[in-house]
Amino acid sequence: MIFLLPMLALLIGIGLAMLLHVSPLGGIEGLYVAVACMAGLDTICGGLRSGLEGKYTNDVFFSGFVSNIVISFGLAWLGDKIGINLFLAVALVLGARIFTNLSLIRRYLLTKWQDARERKRLQELAAQAQAQSQLQADAGA
Amino acid sequence: MNPFASRISGNSWVLPVSGLCLVLGFMVRAAAITDTTRNDRLSALDKTQQFRIGLGTIDLQQQYLGLQKDFEGLQGEVSKLRTENDNLQKTIGTSGPTSKLLNQSLQDAKAFAGLTAVDGPGVKITLIDSKKASFGPIQENIIHDTDILSVTNELFASGAEAIDVNGQRIVGTSAVRCAGPIVFMDGVRIASPIIVRAIGDAKTLMGGLNIPEGVLDQIRRTDPSMVQVEEVKNMRIGAYSGSTDRKYAKTTEGK
Repeated sequence: MIFLLPMLALLIGIGLAMLLHVSPLGGIEGLYVAVACMAGLDTICGGLRSGLEGKYTNDVFFSGFVSNIVISFGLAWLGDKIGINLFLAVALVLGARIFTNLSLIRRYLLTKWQDARERKRLQELAAQAQAQSQLQADAGA
Repeated sequence: MNPFASRISGNSWVLPVSGLCLVLGFMVRAAAITDTTRNDRLSALDKTQQFRIGLGTIDLQQQYLGLQKDFEGLQGEVSKLRTENDNLQKTIGTSGPTSKLLNQSLQDAKAFAGLTAVDGPGVKITLIDSKKASFGPIQENIIHDTDILSVTNELFASGAEAIDVNGQRIVGTSAVRCAGPIVFMDGVRIASPIIVRAIGDAKTLMGGLNIPEGVLDQIRRTDPSMVQVEEVKNMRIGAYSGSTDRKYAKTTEGK
């Protein structure tokens, strides 16, 4: 439920860009923007995670978004300027980070769900015990 | 109040994250590979990725199929026009003794060049990919372009006068080329079974083909079932149906 809004916003963003005729970039710039996209995705996953963990702060999130995008774009560009495939390094690191973030989100949700189930089970047990003691009390009387 | 709104207001992070998701959507669109940017972008990628992205595009394949259809249609037209040309030359040939002689030499030259269909006895060789597994870097179990080349070379060396490979007449400009799982014979795709037919003295041709350690022996060494040879009493080998255009070679008439 809570992920619905960001996902919807992503789709709306793509749709708006298409409506406003943001033309896809050709050539090597397109590649740099693609790697910047990965950085953005990574930051958003990180934001979701910290939000779920209750550690979210606006300034960290926004500065992370901007700086990650600029750094990944810049590294990819620099790599091509000095003849080292830094693009690959950026893609690798960001990919790994997205994976980590997503798995942490999954674990958090799983724990939450398991906790809720456990709580429900305990509540049922308590209710049963109470009913039993009530019965015994009735029988004793 | 709906529960959705209260959940959002309870989590301060949802709205900023959604906002930046919107921005990310714009970036994704800007980085997307579409029909207009594909060619630009592909050159910046490495080979395997180019292949992966290329897999998703079927336009090229359809273009290819369309062109092949055109090609087949044009080929039919060429052979039709050549038959008409033959008939015209024959009618000219009957009009007088000089033109008759001229026509005779013209027809001889055309038969030699492979531009007319010819009949005669000869041999038929069928080359089939082996069903056995192959080991080593070069796949010995399939028929390669070089196998076809060495077979036709051996046939010409043994006195064959006309050869075709899967219906493609071999002429002076014929080329056989490997193209992965198939072979291009004068630009036409052929695959196993490959049938090579040659007109000539059947006994001599068979002798040449079956020389110990000769071309067929080398293929048979991998798997004897890859080669079948039979003598043919009479068969017709069709005319060359490809292009005969010349752009650079000029004839030196009267010099």
